[in-house]
Amino acid sequence: MPEHLTASLLIALIGGVVDLDSTATWQFMISQPIVAAPLTGLFLGNMFGEAAAGLKLGLMVGTILQLIWIEQLPLGMNVPPDAALASVLSVALGFIAGHGYESYSEREVCYTIALLLAVALGLLGRSLDMFVRRLNTGIDAWVSQKVENNQLWAIAFGHTLGGMFTFTKAFIFCFLVVWLGVEPLRYFTSTLSFKHASGFIVVQGLLPAVGFSVLASMCIKDRREMRLFIGAIIVFTLLPAKIWLGIGAALLVIYRYGWRSAAK
Amino acid sequence: MRNLPRFMLAKIAFRSFFLQSSWNYRGMMNMGFLYAISPALDRLHAPGPAREAAYLRHLEYFNTNPYFASIVMGVTLALEERLSRGEITEDIIHDTKEGLMTACAAIGDGLFWDSWRPFVAAAALAFAFGNYLLTPLIFLALYNLPHLYFRFFGIFWGYREGTHIIRSLRQFQFPQIRQSLRYGTLVLLAYLVPNHVNLHTPFLLTNLPIEYFYFGEKVVQGIGALVLVSLGTVAYRARIDVLLISFLLMVCALVLYHWGILI
Repeated sequence: MPEHLTASLLIALIGGVVDLDSTATWQFMISQPIVAAPLTGLFLGNMFGEAAAGLKLGLMVGTILQLIWIEQLPLGMNVPPDAALASVLSVALGFIAGHGYESYSEREVCYTIALLLAVALGLLGRSLDMFVRRLNTGIDAWVSQKVENNQLWAIAFGHTLGGMFTFTKAFIFCFLVVWLGVEPLRYFTSTLSFKHASGFIVVQGLLPAVGFSVLASMCIKDRREMRLFIGAIIVFTLLPAKIWLGIGAALLVIYRYGWRSAAK
Repeated sequence: MRNLPRFMLAKIAFRSFFLQSSWNYRGMMNMGFLYAISPALDRLHAPGPAREAAYLRHLEYFNTNPYFASIVMGVTLALEERLSRGEITEDIIHDTKEGLMTACAAIGDGLFWDSWRPFVAAAALAFAFGNYLLTPLIFLALYNLPHLYFRFFGIFWGYREGTHIIRSLRQFQFPQIRQSLRYGTLVLLAYLVPNHVNLHTPFLLTNLPIEYFYFGEKVVQGIGALVLVSLGTVAYRARIDVLLISFLLMVCALVLYHWGILI
């Protein structure tokens, strides 16, 4: 039990710091799933004496979540699902709950279910984010009033308070989810039959296709690009790496040359 | 004549990392903007009505790309300095700031969110699928090079150039950079799709001679992945939510697995 409590506190701390990066501060992109999930896996794995396993789980989870939410951005009024918290929680729940299992397939199923659960938690995280923004709106009104009365210190105070709200929200949310969520997840996984369980491993292998679809939608603008994309996929499927790398380099040179002559 | 020392501009660039700490629905990044430039305002305006007016002026609505905000801060401070010398009026600061934040939002969002981040993510994913454990560091190092460049140099640049900054921004040829990044992302994606969607069927094992099995498996995986991604793209362009697409894929995969078509 003390180990579980320590792990919950550690995850809450990581969640708080990572969530600050997603919008409130820095924006170094530590909050992107491809970074946040391996980071969580590394810290958690280190705590349980399995750093490499934690890091690998983090990479797997981070890859899938990065792909699923690749187009989600906090632009203007848009509040996207909280991919940072989803990444942290997915790794934390999967690792702690799967830690007790002996077999590979049981652990993999536990990871996949934690991943699916974390996607839903990411949506809940969005609602919490909107709540914090509403709180900040109240602070903004208060700060404006203070500045009008020439109390200029209020700006630094109000601004810092906003950052603290974000951290506290993520800290409490992560702590409660890990503290209360591990046992139900372990119970649910153990109730699945082996037949059902292996199906989830198939799902895990197919999920990247969703993210690839989103990325393709973002990048392909016309039919010509679509044809080129399909052609490139066929090349990458049929030919070994050395040949397609050579073809790619040649095409790039031709494209650059053609583009420059057309511009002239 | 410039009054603000380099150290102060660096301090403001550092404070700009906290631009969105108090993001709110009324003024968006207004408090963050004012918090960042407040040391310079304190230096430029004497205590009293002038300083209070400067603070109130920058508490109004502000929203732009966070990485390009430093440029807006630099230009705003150059104008504040001229205001303190009585060369311009408050309206000029208001209008310039508003125009510049819109332009920087358009350029910055298009460059960073729409092009650079997907490209770096696709490059990192290529490493991640290979279980390369340093992937997060590669992602962070690559992503933050232009980020930190604009954060730190943006403020010096904006302060030096003032309202001429838009002309200088053109030298970057952002549309061409964005197009190149888009093509780069597409090539990486074309590599990722057939290699990292794990689609296996038992029919090949039973029906194909063992010497052709590896090639057959690769072709089936490539075609299957292409079909899946095409369907996903059609669904996404039809504005079906990503999570719903994921859920449908999960259900289909479980059904196909149950029928023995996928393993």
